[in-house]
Amino acid sequence: MKVRRIEKVLVYDEGAVETLDIGEIAGYLREKLKKVQVKVRGNPFAFRLEKSPDYARKLASIKIRDASRKIAPEPEPLYGEVQYEKRRILGKTKAFGVVYDGFQLQRVFSELVAREERCLGFVHIFFTNRLFATWEESDKRYHARTSVYGVPSVISTTGLVEAPAKPREYYLVKQQYEMLGKDLLELKERLKASFIDYEDERLTEVVKGYAMQALFYYLVGDPFCKDKGCRLYNAHWQEELIFAQLGSGYELCGQHARILDSLHGK
Amino acid sequence: MKVGIEEIEVKEDKTIKELMDELQLSSAPILLEVSGEIFYPDAIKDRRLRRGDKVTLIPVIAGG
Repeated sequence: MKVRRIEKVLVYDEGAVETLDIGEIAGYLREKLKKVQVKVRGNPFAFRLEKSPDYARKLASIKIRDASRKIAPEPEPLYGEVQYEKRRILGKTKAFGVVYDGFQLQRVFSELVAREERCLGFVHIFFTNRLFATWEESDKRYHARTSVYGVPSVISTTGLVEAPAKPREYYLVKQQYEMLGKDLLELKERLKASFIDYEDERLTEVVKGYAMQALFYYLVGDPFCKDKGCRLYNAHWQEELIFAQLGSGYELCGQHARILDSLHGK
Repeated sequence: MKVGIEEIEVKEDKTIKELMDELQLSSAPILLEVSGEIFYPDAIKDRRLRRGDKVTLIPVIAGG
């Protein structure tokens, strides 16, 4: 298997939640990569504020309005939607009620990467609280996602909460709670060990695994592993996510650990 | 589509669009590295490639 050389890792904070410690994640990547420079860049829009009206229009036009209809190429967004995106870019709001087309969002973010750094060898990772989804041709609908790996890779903290399904028990008991008019917060409290929630203190540790997926995407072209205990496991259920990132007792499977070791000449 | 970043060598002169059509990747979420820089294929669709040029196919992959 061909393993690519990484020159530099650049980590960006595109409005990720405050409980996410990006400095700690960068430290984790430094520890794993040893000789490779890992830098935290902050808000990627900060370097392109003069173009914020253009980005705001692009972001507003990739909003998913109906999960069962693929968004049209370049629809004309409403004035209010563009204004919302401008406020979001300028950091005046961190609201996250909008769902974006994931591949299109990744493309808008790619424009924020400096041209001279838009090449293989530079790993760009954007952390965001924007929720995104990708279109599945098989069932003709959008599915929420945790991450999109490309240049840059994008990891969504909202996606980590919303995309992998919660335990079946959660949905069954939720129906009962709704019928009885009971407080759903009580249900979340009852089952909190079995899924990641907003402002979850485990979030930083979980995201380290997704940052590793972004690294392996560059290293070998595939971010995922079939081993359910490996941090590269592509979890579709919250219980799988928690097991892969926090509960398996090891970080990487033997094969992926060896690839990482090979970077250090072991 | 097969997962993996793959370098290919262009067999004959053609445009990026022709290459994408030939590989049946025209509608796939994919990036290309051409001459050390990464592009979306539709952004450089008319660029001409020469026989022997190297192009790296970089699929964009969603997780979760």
